[in-house]
Amino acid sequence: METIITASKLSKSYSLGVKALNEVDLSVFSGEVVVLMGPSGSGKSTLIRTFNGLENIDTGELEVLGVRLGSFATEKNILRVRKKVGMVFQQFNLFPHLSILENVTLAQIKVQKVNKEKAEAKAMNLLKKMGIVEQANKYPNQLSGGQQQRVAIVRALALEPTLMLFDEPTSALDPERIKEVLDAMRDLAKQGMTMVVVTHEIGFAREVADRVVFMDKGKIIEESDPKSFFTAAKEERSRKFLNQMMQ
Amino acid sequence: MNLLKKNNSQKDINLKHLTTSSTNSLPQKINPFNIRILTRDFFSNPLDTTLTVALIFISILGSVNILEWLIYKANWNIVTKNINLFIVGSYPKEYSWRPISWLLIILIISITTLYTNLFKSRRYLIWIIIIPLGIYLHSGGLGLKPLPTDIWGGLSLTLILTLSSGAIAFPLGILLALGKQSEITLVRFVCKIYIEVIRSLPLIAVLFFGQLLIPLFLPMEVEINRVSRAVLAFAIFAASYIAEDIRGGLQAIPKTQCEAAEALGLSKRQIFFQILLPQSIRTALPSLTNQAIGLLQNTSLMAILGLVELLGISRSLLANPEFIGLYLETYVWLAFIYWIICSIMSLLAKKLENELRINQAKE
Repeated sequence: METIITASKLSKSYSLGVKALNEVDLSVFSGEVVVLMGPSGSGKSTLIRTFNGLENIDTGELEVLGVRLGSFATEKNILRVRKKVGMVFQQFNLFPHLSILENVTLAQIKVQKVNKEKAEAKAMNLLKKMGIVEQANKYPNQLSGGQQQRVAIVRALALEPTLMLFDEPTSALDPERIKEVLDAMRDLAKQGMTMVVVTHEIGFAREVADRVVFMDKGKIIEESDPKSFFTAAKEERSRKFLNQMMQ
Repeated sequence: MNLLKKNNSQKDINLKHLTTSSTNSLPQKINPFNIRILTRDFFSNPLDTTLTVALIFISILGSVNILEWLIYKANWNIVTKNINLFIVGSYPKEYSWRPISWLLIILIISITTLYTNLFKSRRYLIWIIIIPLGIYLHSGGLGLKPLPTDIWGGLSLTLILTLSSGAIAFPLGILLALGKQSEITLVRFVCKIYIEVIRSLPLIAVLFFGQLLIPLFLPMEVEINRVSRAVLAFAIFAASYIAEDIRGGLQAIPKTQCEAAEALGLSKRQIFFQILLPQSIRTALPSLTNQAIGLLQNTSLMAILGLVELLGISRSLLANPEFIGLYLETYVWLAFIYWIICSIMSLLAKKLENELRINQAKE
């Protein structure tokens, strides 16, 4: 199987000596869905953000899609990676001054240099698949949170990424809107997309993940398949976390 | 007390307005002359009643006197006999169609922008073309007889000064705002010093410096006329204020917008021009409108430096023995012209704001 991400001994500390990442080793293979779990402040968001260069690391080796993103990653390398990696954020982060259609076509036109008609056709097609094609000419704050997040997914998919990163995609949603976003992610996983997902949705992890990675205090505590993780976690820390989650 | 009450009742009305509009699709209009509201706001107790009656009496007295002066007492000869001077200054009569047609074009474009949807997508371009067109019509060349800048004047000079200094100051201000956020310490430092120094100087000082210093910085062969010097000085001054307005707009944008754009692979330049700048201009628009209106009114300071724009031409007219002593008439007339132009400007700004808000419909 092709390796998409290889990380070895990744470390990063913020000022005051807090270690956000502490010698993290992780590999993600093509077609795999890896779910990162852990209490807040465990470094899972920091970790996923290093995969497209939004955070740089202090020490360690990181290779994403064959491009080195170590501590001295060049701007050029980071841009190369970003062209093939899509990311979805907790707060959707759509551009409020652009219509839904423009949100989806912007990077196609500016980064991939696709012409406008082609970009729009592709955007409409993806919006249709996501069931939000009738929102194309509206503006982000006219949409519900769930719709906005699905637009954010479409915006990332329009660039035909090889890897998708999801940073708590459902944490800012109303409970009744979570399902529509998770369904979209489920479909994506079924189509064989390689995904790294930071989430607290145990149901989603149990059903879709190939592997669950549990982190705490910047370290990977446990790494196993979802079934054994949720029924018989090996580590005391993971069991404690799961107990709190289940309540 | 009266005022306080009034505020409260307005709040009531607003609230009512909100609730009705959320239940009905058509918001109910509240009649401002509703007798019940009027008595509640203005005649609810003896003090209110006294104040209301006194204020009505004073305002009637005032307006009668003002109208009487405007219609019977004032001598409008200074305006009617010199209307040409007010509009184009001492521009020769046989060529005055040039500045006048420029003014008419501006008026027509303002009206079409305000009340029609003509050329909607080309509007910005049209407004930018206006400026070189004005300079061309005034100075001549390329088929028109060249005329020196000394004879430019009146309203057309005022607008030339305002529009062209605005057109230079706006991009310069954006660059300064961008520079102030630069990762390069030297660039950041230079922009900061520029903004701080210029903001700490009064405009009139900048204008004097402009008239005296700009020629010193240029090589001997390049002669730069007074109008261009004034425009440059204005632009240098206004840019520092515009920079701060834009910077305020930039700071209002959440950092996550940048991250989302970065994650899509946009370059730094693309992020600035596609994501940050449009959003910051939207936020800064009300204060930018203020700057534009301020710029227009500040052009009157050029009268002190001897340019005959609106105020300058009025001052030289007042020095004419024929019109001596007609100060009040002249300044009322000037106030009227400035008021008209400023009103058009704020209407345009409001229109722009509304269009942007529709784009960003807040539900």
